[in-house]
Parts: sequence; C-alpha cells; structure tokens
Amino acid sequence: MADVLTKPFRRRATPMNLRLWLPLVWIAVVAAAALFAPFIAPHDPLAQDLMLERLPPAFMDGSEPGHWLGTDSLGRDVLSRMIYGARIALFVSLIAATATCIFGSTLGLIAGFYGGWPDRIISRLVDIWMAFPPVLFAVLLVAVMGTGLGSVIAAIALIDWTRFARVIRAETMVQARMDYVDSARIGGARRAATLVSEILPNVLPSIIALLMLEMGIAVIVEAILSFVNLSISSDDPTWGSMIAEGRGSIHFAWWVLLFPLITLFLTVLSFSTLGEGLKQHFDPVHK
Amino acid sequence: MTHPIQPAISDVPALFSIRNLHLSFPDRAHKPLLGPAPRIEVLKGISLDIPKGQITGIVGESGSGKSTFGRILVRLLDPDSGQVLFDGQDIGSLNETELRPLRRDLQMIFQDPMSSLNPRHKVSRIITQPMKRYGRGGTRADAIAALGKVGLPPEFAERYPHELSGGQRQRVGIARAIALEPRFILADEIVSGLDVSSQAQVLTLLGDLARDMGLTIAFISHDLSVIQYLCDNVVVLHHGVIVDQGPVQTVFDAPQSNITKSLLAAIPTPEIDEDWWAETESF
Amino acid sequence: MTSTHPTAQTLDIIKLNVRLANGRRLLRDVSLTLKPGEVRALVGESGAGKSMIGKAVLGILPNNLDISEGEIILEGAHLNAMTPSTRRKTVAKMSSLIPQDPLTALNPVRKIGPQITDPLIRIHGWSADRAMKRARDLLDRVHIRAPERVMASYPHELSGGMRQRILIAAAFAPSPRLIVADEPTTALDVTVQKQILKLIRELQRETGTAVLFVTHDMGVVAKISQQVTVLFAGRVMEDAPTQQVFEAPSHPYTQALIKATPTLNAVTKSFSPVPAELIAELHSDIAKIDAAYDAGDRA
Repeated sequence: MADVLTKPFRRRATPMNLRLWLPLVWIAVVAAAALFAPFIAPHDPLAQDLMLERLPPAFMDGSEPGHWLGTDSLGRDVLSRMIYGARIALFVSLIAATATCIFGSTLGLIAGFYGGWPDRIISRLVDIWMAFPPVLFAVLLVAVMGTGLGSVIAAIALIDWTRFARVIRAETMVQARMDYVDSARIGGARRAATLVSEILPNVLPSIIALLMLEMGIAVIVEAILSFVNLSISSDDPTWGSMIAEGRGSIHFAWWVLLFPLITLFLTVLSFSTLGEGLKQHFDPVHK
Repeated sequence: MTHPIQPAISDVPALFSIRNLHLSFPDRAHKPLLGPAPRIEVLKGISLDIPKGQITGIVGESGSGKSTFGRILVRLLDPDSGQVLFDGQDIGSLNETELRPLRRDLQMIFQDPMSSLNPRHKVSRIITQPMKRYGRGGTRADAIAALGKVGLPPEFAERYPHELSGGQRQRVGIARAIALEPRFILADEIVSGLDVSSQAQVLTLLGDLARDMGLTIAFISHDLSVIQYLCDNVVVLHHGVIVDQGPVQTVFDAPQSNITKSLLAAIPTPEIDEDWWAETESF
Repeated sequence: MTSTHPTAQTLDIIKLNVRLANGRRLLRDVSLTLKPGEVRALVGESGAGKSMIGKAVLGILPNNLDISEGEIILEGAHLNAMTPSTRRKTVAKMSSLIPQDPLTALNPVRKIGPQITDPLIRIHGWSADRAMKRARDLLDRVHIRAPERVMASYPHELSGGMRQRILIAAAFAPSPRLIVADEPTTALDVTVQKQILKLIRELQRETGTAVLFVTHDMGVVAKISQQVTVLFAGRVMEDAPTQQVFEAPSHPYTQALIKATPTLNAVTKSFSPVPAELIAELHSDIAKIDAAYDAGDRA
C-alpha cells in the first residue's frame, strides 16, 4: 500500500531534477573558472594600480572599462581575483574533502560492521575529538604546522573526519542487521568481502552526499583561515582574504566584499544541495 | 542431565542429528547496573533428527525458539552447548573458517525477501555470486537456468529486487539457495509476508523442487495449515522445548500435546463453522 | 450537523473514488453499506485498497489523495460535505479504530490509563471519574488482570497481545457506532488471534457496534463477518452475505481466493494459487473501465 501511495509521486516531485542540475551547473562554472583562470581572467590578479583603486562595478557610474566587478583598495581587479580564488578554493576542497572522506568513512565502516572493540576504540576517539571546538582547533593546528595550503588541508581532514566516521558508522550498523548480510554469510562470503561488496554499495550514497557537503565545508574553512590570515600569503587571491579585505571598506566599496561573499555562498550551497540530490539519484528504490 | 527419549520422527536416516541443544541470550533490558546481564534461555535442551530427503516443519508461536533453532542449523548462531551433527560431523563447534566449505550445503531462504536481497545488486549477481565463490559456475546462463527452475523468465536476471513483486522476490531467494545444489535448506517463514495468491505458488514450487532435487528442508512456520500442505514431518516447539513431533498426518490426527491441539483449533479455516468458537483458550 | 437525516444504515458509502494527484484511481466506484450491529469484512490482497476504505471513512488518508468524489454517510451525516473540522469531530464522536500494529499504536512515553481516558474526556466530554471507571471496566472486560496496575504502566512493559487487547478496550470505550478494525490480528500468533477475534465478536455483540473489518485472510472472514466485500485493485468484485460467499461464491476471484487459503481438511487438501490468467483478465477489465471513466471525465 505504501508503495502505491509514494512510488508514482517521487518521479514527478522534482521536475527535470533541478536539485541536481542547478548546483551542477554552478559548480561547473566555478570549476571552469578555476581550470582556465589564466585565459579568462581579464587582469593579473596581483597587479596593483593605485590610480584605479576602489573602482565600482561596470553597471555603476565612475566605472572603468575592463573592470567588470570593480577593483579593491589596491586597484586589483575583483573579478580576476575571484576567478583565481576559485582555483585555491576548489583545490583545497577537493583534496581535503577526499582525504577526510576516505579516512573517516573507512573508520566508520569498520566500527559499524565489526562492532566489539574496534567500534569501542573508534567511537571513543570520535567522542574525544568532537570535544574540541573545530575552528579553534583548526587555527591552532595551522599555527603549529605553519601557514600554507598543505596545513589548511591537513587541518580540515584532521577536524572533520569525525563527521564521516559517525554518520557512516550508524548507517553501516543499520545495513549490517539486514538479512542480505546473513545471506552473504550463508553464501560463503568472508567478513571483509561482505563489507566491501554488500554493505559498501548501500552506504555509498550517504558517503557521496557527505563528501559533497564536506567540499562545501572545506571551502568555508579555507575562507575562514584566509580571513584570519592563516591560509596562504595574503597577496594570493582567495575568497576568504578578499572578504577580510572588503570588510574594511564595506561602507564605500561594498563590491569588494559582496561579490566574493555571494560566490562563496552559492558554491557551498551548491555542494550541499548536490550531495542530497545525488543521494536521492543513486537510491534504487526512490529513483 | 538426562536426555529425553530419543526422537524417532521417521524411519528415514537423519541428515541432522541434534542432541541436547541449549541456547540463551543476554537480557539487556534487565541488566543490573554492575555485572553481567541475566540470560534468557531460548532453547532448553532440544534433541531431534531431521530425516534426509524430507521436508520437516518446525512450528510454534512467537517466542517458541523456532527461528533461533533454525539459525543454529545453518550456523548463523552458535549454540551454548549440545551437538549439532550434520551428516555425522558436529558443526556446532566449528569456527567461521572451518564452516565456510560446509556452507554450500547449508542454504537458507529468508522470511523477508526485500531485506535478504541486496537492493544494490541485480538478480543475476545475487544468484551467481555464491556460485562463483564455490567454483560452481556463475555465468549469466547459470543465473537464467536457476531463474527458469523457479519459473521466472530470463529478463529478470537484469532486474533489481525492488522491481519485483513479493512473490517474485521470494522465488529469487529460492533460486539463490538451490543454485548451489545444497544438501539442506532452511526455509524461515518464507510465505508469511506474501499475499495468499502467491503463497500457494511459492509453496508448490518449493515442494516440487524438493522432490525433484531430493532436498532436505526444514520449514519454519507459525501456520500449521501451511505445514500440513507441504511437510512430511512436523515438530512443535513451545518455549524452547519440543512438545510434539512425528509424521504430519499423525500429529494432525492425534496431537499429543495441548499446545498442538490449541494451535490446530485456532486456525481460521475458510468455512462457516460456529463450533470453531467453542474451543477458545482463555487469557 | 445540518446535513443529518434519518437513515437505517450506520455507514453508507456510495461510489467512492480515491485518486492520486496524477489522476490515477486507487478506489474505483466503491459502494457498501453497514447496518447497525453488523460486521462487514473488507477482504483483498495487498494493493486492493481495503485499508484505504477504512481510512477514507475515518478521514486519515494522506493529504495527497483526492477523495472528493463519492459519498460517505456515517449515521446519516454526509462526511464529504462537511468542513474538515466538523468532519473530524463527527467522526471522532461516532467511530474508533482498532489499528493493525499494537506495538506502534500506543504512545511509548505515556502511561496506558490516560491514553484510554483522554479521548473520552476530550471528545466525548466525560468527567475524569466516569472515564476512569469506564476504562477499568473495559480492561476487565478484555480479560486484563489488575487493570489498575496496567493503566499505570507504559506500553513497553506489556506484551503484544495485551497491547492489542488494550487497543480494543480503548476502541469500544466510548460505545461508538462504528469501529474500523484494520487487520487487527495480522501481527499476532494464531492462538492469540483467535482470542482477539472472539473478544471483538463478543464486545461487538454486546454493544451493537457496527464493525468494518479489514483483512486479507479468507479464514478470518469466514469466522468473524456477516457480510463480505471482496476487493481487487480498488474495485468491488463481490458484495454478499458471508454464508453465501463461502457456500456459493459468485465471482471467480472470490472462488480463487477461497481456494488459495489453506484448510485443515485433509480430503480437500488442494490449495491452489490464484490463476495468473484470472489476475490478468481482471486487470484488463479494470483498464477498460478506467479508460471509459477517463473519457467520461473529460467530456
């Protein structure tokens, strides 16, 4: 009966699957900007021109041709810096989120499937880890390891693996109780093989959704660390440092702050929406 | 501990000989703050022979221990004590590695075909993966042949479990079990989740396959009417103890235990019969 | 209640259609009547729409379903013509539900007592004392020893059969005109099922309450009901007195359902599936009916 009520609806509920396509398009735009930055950026992101400082965007009075989104307090082109900023944002998010995902999910799968002492050790570790305030922890880690992209990536992975471990452990425990796991045992499968070939495919949609969410979070954490000047050198264009810089001139040059902020917001939103969308898309029952 | 009188359920030689089987679970609901949880005894010394090449029904109410007993036969559970002789070998004390080569002979069909078929795998993979593990083929043709035996067309090989009806899923479960040509199959409440129309189909199918392949089957059910239809012998469990056993017709015609009598009297048969109400147990 | 007029029926359903938002029909022109004190079985396989009829009467169908077409008349009150809040009050006053799953139907964090007495006080305006007394009496009536203690316990402290008896007591407590019993014994063991069926039968006879008994089991139908509605794919296949249905079923689907139900009679041990050809034929009939219905809809 429940089938009759829900099945035909799901298919129609999301016309053209906008939840999947809108974020994909935006992420593709950002990714293209990152990949082809030298070819599409109208200016050198580092080139200063104090004669052209704080120019407004092209649609306002007093703008200069070629500076579509205006310039900052050192006369650097905002659009070009944002395009180059996408490089750093995506690079960090891709590497950091993947590392976090692999590490955290593996622990989660092991804890959830084997139970017993592996579970007890991993779960206690997660509890202890989560007692640290994450941003402070990140700042502390980077301060100890020194600034730079490598430190930023390491900080993200070291902080956020618990999210994967926790969620994937719970999900694995649910799957481990299903009859198909017993059935694999009856069919002569080894424990490890059961985990990889029976349970993992069922947990994968959640892993992918979390991975996407983590990419968004990595973008934010990178921005936060740039904002407090703990990422890479402040000259390098990152969205976080642009926001930090724009903060000082918000009353007379709002565009320096606003455009990177919107980009950051849309990118993070896209990642998390895409994650949910993909999870639903991969669900064989509710597809 | 003295053994109860030895079971002579049938003249046929036994495939399984179970002696004085005990099992208990920890009762976490009543665990004291310190110290171990008290244990609930689920099976209290069961001794039973399961005859070769026949279908033995195991019946009882919820809490009788019938499913637990079944899961020990296929060693999804470990007994606390007692012998589980499968063809003369005590499988009750083997570890997982020692059991693995034996598992091909000890197959199971599950109650809930949705949960027992991996939703991420196609039917062909579900059927052939165990075959490959035991080096008994595992090609697409093997999958199609197994589907054919349970009356499903070849195109079902490419479907996912959620694309099938309940009865079809249960046939896939049967196909997976018989594809390994096992010597024993445990069927655990396999029709209780199905509509009446498919119940009869699945039971007929299982009965035919058992006869053709000479299978030994333990058929667990809470429903005596289904047992009578399919089984050669029947064992009635109640609170972890065997209260009745023997050839189906004997037990049905002359039940020895009050438990069996009340189980029989409680079946709502599809006929108008005011007398049915006469014997109702009080609460 | 402005739309009330005197009638002999407790429940009168006339050409009820339930549709999904996309227009697909789940119930197709279902009509049935229920006299006071009568038990009518709604029988069919999964997807037949049997539970849906009971839920439509009680007004507890999911919101995405359209039930505007057809009439549901409960004790003379035209439910479909009412505003949602009047309808809710009317239904609550005159009917109760015995749900399928006793394990989830009771609120786990509340004690049993208030779960029985609350509706009596809130909906029926009884005094707390009167409600308490009634709850005690009925728990006693469903053979619960020490009703006081049970009323002070939480659901998880009681067995499944006990909880189902409590739900039956709660359903009968306000002496409703109609009880919808939605597969109330499906989750229970046969011996407990028989006890529960007997209880429902006795209480129903004592109180004169009409019962709409939803089940998939022809055996249960034979034992509990006086009238039967056989459903297939949301359509009534046969509507007849129970006696007649089992002695001379007129519809081939009814005959097949009876044959598919195992008996204990060793002589007629034949027990055969519903033929696939019959199912296919019924589905094609329904497709034709739907096509005609859709054409009429557009015209």
